[in-house]
Amino acid sequence: MKILLAEDDSMLGDGLRAGLRQLGFQVDWVRDGVAAERELACGDYAAAVLDLGLPLKDGIDVLQAVRASKITTPVLVLTARDAVPDRIRGLDLGADDYVVKPVDLHELGARLRSLVRRAHGQMQDVLRCGAVLLEPSARRVSLNDEPVALSTREFDLLHVLMLNADRVLSREQLEQQLYSWGYEVESNAIEVHIHHLRRKLQPDLIQTVRGIGYTVQRGSAPASAST
Amino acid sequence: MRTGRRLKSLQARLLAPLLGLLTVVWLGAAVMIWFDASHELDELLDGHLAQAAALLVMQQANPHAHDSAQDAPSLQKYPPSLHKYASDVVFQVFHEGRLVLSSTNAGTVPISRKEQGFSTVRLADDDQWRVFATRGAEHDVQVYVGEQTESRDSILLAVLQWVLLPLVIALPLLALVGWWAVRQGLAPLRHLSRVLAQRRPQAMEPLVVPDLSTEMVPVVQALNGLFERIEQMLVSERRFTADAAHELRTPIAAIRAQAQVALGAGHDAAQRDHALQFTLAGCDRATHLVEQLLTLARLEAAPASAADAVARVDLSALARRVAADLAPTALARGQTLQLEAPTACRVAGDEALIGVLVRNLVDNALRYSPNQAQVWVSVAMESGQAVLRVQDSGAGMTEPEMARLGERFYRVLGSDQPGSGLGWSIVKRIATVFGAQVQVSRSERLGGLAVTVRWPR
Repeated sequence: MKILLAEDDSMLGDGLRAGLRQLGFQVDWVRDGVAAERELACGDYAAAVLDLGLPLKDGIDVLQAVRASKITTPVLVLTARDAVPDRIRGLDLGADDYVVKPVDLHELGARLRSLVRRAHGQMQDVLRCGAVLLEPSARRVSLNDEPVALSTREFDLLHVLMLNADRVLSREQLEQQLYSWGYEVESNAIEVHIHHLRRKLQPDLIQTVRGIGYTVQRGSAPASAST
Repeated sequence: MRTGRRLKSLQARLLAPLLGLLTVVWLGAAVMIWFDASHELDELLDGHLAQAAALLVMQQANPHAHDSAQDAPSLQKYPPSLHKYASDVVFQVFHEGRLVLSSTNAGTVPISRKEQGFSTVRLADDDQWRVFATRGAEHDVQVYVGEQTESRDSILLAVLQWVLLPLVIALPLLALVGWWAVRQGLAPLRHLSRVLAQRRPQAMEPLVVPDLSTEMVPVVQALNGLFERIEQMLVSERRFTADAAHELRTPIAAIRAQAQVALGAGHDAAQRDHALQFTLAGCDRATHLVEQLLTLARLEAAPASAADAVARVDLSALARRVAADLAPTALARGQTLQLEAPTACRVAGDEALIGVLVRNLVDNALRYSPNQAQVWVSVAMESGQAVLRVQDSGAGMTEPEMARLGERFYRVLGSDQPGSGLGWSIVKRIATVFGAQVQVSRSERLGGLAVTVRWPR
């Protein structure tokens, strides 16, 4: 899951980025409001962590502009402004969650997962496609209740596909959602990961739609004996 | 205390002099009336006596005018009481030494030893009499006319009685009316004190007292002005506390995040070390912020009149000390810190506070300038004024940024340095305390920011 982090404080930003990465998030970090708005407008983020006291453009203004241009990326406002009117204003202007500093990293992670889940219409933390069960918080995948060991990338790829079950995602979309800045994505990386997932789980779990991309069908892939 | 001995009640203070003055004036008027009236009365009555005597002399000089006149006049006694006031009058007429005419109450001896003019005598009845004596033109007739002085006094007393009686009645009446009027007049004051007593301590809205007397208006206005100033102070205090808490949240959040990263680093020693380094740096930053906050709080609590009793501080020596303290920090970042303070330069001020000011300025210059930058500190006398200049070769500031300097917690955008945003507030506050002026401009020498502090002569 790729998260946009907008925080001007270098020490806090560094800590949040490292902490969220430890929790399995991909994190892009911007330090001012203008960059935050630009990235939200064009980047493909599962969610954003937005500080309100941002240089160049205040977080509230960023939020307003982003919502005005119909961008629905879930936004978690992380701020030192704890007054109730501030919270109300933040939430009313389109924030999906409002957290006052300091925050526990695990709680922040859980809130982000919850935001992403809700954004995809999921009620529960676990995602299920036939015999495949994915638990985002524990970063665990099981097939027919048997745990399956996946690499970080494989897990993230499966997570994105299952979150967007019944929808076709292009290779570019998948890359956008999987890799934060600074990663050189090899041209066939997605294909390689898909291949591994099919091998480790079920061959027909992920279907290729020729010329368009990949998809996971929620109701499909009936339980079958693993290899 | 002296004031304790004076009349405390406004009513007493108002009424006592008023009634006292009234009494004195009234009594003074009575005395004047007494003297004036008795003088006039004497003139009038003496005139009557003289006239009466003249009549008697004339009558005696022309005895033929009388029907009953005989060649040898004999003593005639007038009926004893023609009128009830007749007993107050006495007269004697002597003709060639013989008593020829007299009032019944007069004896046979002349009632006065004085043969001409006025005299006051005591007669047999032991009363005082005013007597006028005169002689006829041929010196053969001697006439004495007297009048009891007591009757004069009773006239005077009757007059005075009507002067003094109203005073006796009016004084208590006036006191009562005055007391009532003052009490009525002070009613708004009592109302005001009730309103004030019932006021919540945090209530800062202006007082509204209906039917205010003109004298009370300034009091209420002054009170409302005071409330307004207190409110402003409270608001700024509250904002400061809120801002301070707010500003502490970010470093604490950073410390927490970094500590959690260190905990979760597992076998990644590099990541753990990095996070722990940042945790420590975060603690240093929070400490710095707290120290700055405390300095500012102390400064704000200190009365602005701290400048009244101050020693002279050598600015050059102080700048040298601060520069020496901060030199290692500058060296670590490859910055050049230069000091130019050739002569001692004494300014009025507290050494510790001026030290904080200089340190904040130099620290700011180093902090917000890039590595390898130059910072130049100079102390000099310019047209009698002590001037401290701190210049740097950093990025400087735009006009709006300069304008916002000194707002609490305002930090220039994009600066990565862990500043508190309070340094400027502290510098400005200290400068204000000692009457120094702070100017921010572009450094002509180094191209970055130049801060000039000018002490008054």
